[in-house]
Amino acid sequence: MLLHAKHHDVTVDLDISSLDFWSRPFETRDETFARLRAKAPVSWHPPIEDREIPPEVHGQAGFWAVTRAEDITYVSQHHEIFSSELGTTMLHPGLPGRTEPASFLDMDPPKHAAYRKIMSATFTPKAVAKLAGKIEERATAIVARVIGAGTIDFVEEVSAKLPMLTIADLVGVPESHIETFAAAGNDLVLLNDPSTAAGEARSERANRAMGTIAAIALELAATRRAAPEDDIMTALVSAEVDGVRLNDMDIIMVMALLSVAGNDTTKQTTTRTVLQLARNPAQRDWLMEDYEGRITASVEEFVRHASPVIQFARTATQDVELGGQQILAGDRVGVFYCSGNRDERVHADAHRFDLTRPRTPNVGFGGGGIHYCLGNGVAKAQLRALFREILTKLPRMEVGEPDYLVSDFINGVKHLPVTIG
Amino acid sequence: MPGTLRVVVDRSRCTGIGICESVQPLRYEVGDDGTLAVLDDVVPEEDRATAEEAIFGCPASALSLIREGD
Repeated sequence: MLLHAKHHDVTVDLDISSLDFWSRPFETRDETFARLRAKAPVSWHPPIEDREIPPEVHGQAGFWAVTRAEDITYVSQHHEIFSSELGTTMLHPGLPGRTEPASFLDMDPPKHAAYRKIMSATFTPKAVAKLAGKIEERATAIVARVIGAGTIDFVEEVSAKLPMLTIADLVGVPESHIETFAAAGNDLVLLNDPSTAAGEARSERANRAMGTIAAIALELAATRRAAPEDDIMTALVSAEVDGVRLNDMDIIMVMALLSVAGNDTTKQTTTRTVLQLARNPAQRDWLMEDYEGRITASVEEFVRHASPVIQFARTATQDVELGGQQILAGDRVGVFYCSGNRDERVHADAHRFDLTRPRTPNVGFGGGGIHYCLGNGVAKAQLRALFREILTKLPRMEVGEPDYLVSDFINGVKHLPVTIG
Repeated sequence: MPGTLRVVVDRSRCTGIGICESVQPLRYEVGDDGTLAVLDDVVPEEDRATAEEAIFGCPASALSLIREGD
């Protein structure tokens, strides 16, 4: 099957492909998505612009953008029509032949199910409940450290810390390697931001980040083979898929996936929620009136509003009609969670940060189906623990202006200055 | 008399993600291998709203409510 190479006529005169578009703020971008949701819920676009790789080099024809929540869910729940394995889930074009599949994120059943099973014990609600004490302990220490700190970067000093420590606890990464492990994951996400150097420097940075993750993964794998513990690495080195042990590369790719999936998502949601709570003091007061009773539902709104993952791609395995458009086998399809979480058909006054919303499912952890975020329970446990500490221990924190990440993948805040008296 | 309301799991769709258990921990339990056990499938009327929250919250659309005798 010809992948991502068939050309279609552009179906609507709205740009969501240029670097200029992705350099605008979230709310501005959603004005375009709102028009797409209204009049062209599934539409064909030129490939996302890369700073260095022109279309004649990456060879991709373009993609179908799916923008309504209902269609995002349909695509996500029909993995047999919309594959993650064919051509990976990265919508952003890369160099041909250089896009490594991101482990089980980029697999279809039955292989996907086999991988997910290896890790399922770590992420059950009961396992998350057992982990909650450790998460709370970490959250308390992180916030205690910044009391009276003056002006600091909230992203670096607070938001980034808990996800990094939690994923390290889950995988089994020793304290001595945690910072390096998280920095490498962060580097992978930053690759498309204009603040990252271009050319050789960019690919060197990517290689160095992967090299770091690989070294930590292999050292830890060897340690766990010799002395098993109760963590993900032990599960990985003991697991078999189709009767075969995972090889070094399989293990490295799981680690790379976890380093990004487990770090950046919760980090961005934390930063964006701090911003929203500062801008909406009445919401913060409402939450604080009954924190324990209201935080579980509030976390749903934290995630919906922050929408930390902007989109993932699928590839059609067959010709299929969606939203009035004829998608052909081999076409790239982008599911835009950022748009689904602002879909006015599902969420009234969708831009409003409103903790009292009715509990309507959102697509912040994905559109459902087999690739729904495995770590959603861990993320929620972190947000509950961290905001309990932030709101009680830092009640008079002054929040400054955010410095946003330019990315078509992660809805990121690079820096957020805050002043803590 | 209407029949008893029960929760039904579509095993071909369930991925064991456990949103249902987080909403109704006494009704659902995800095992270590990711298999969902329904500990109690009977939904009394007074429990219906919470049961529906778990059902509509399922990201795999694997849960449904049936009335026995339908």
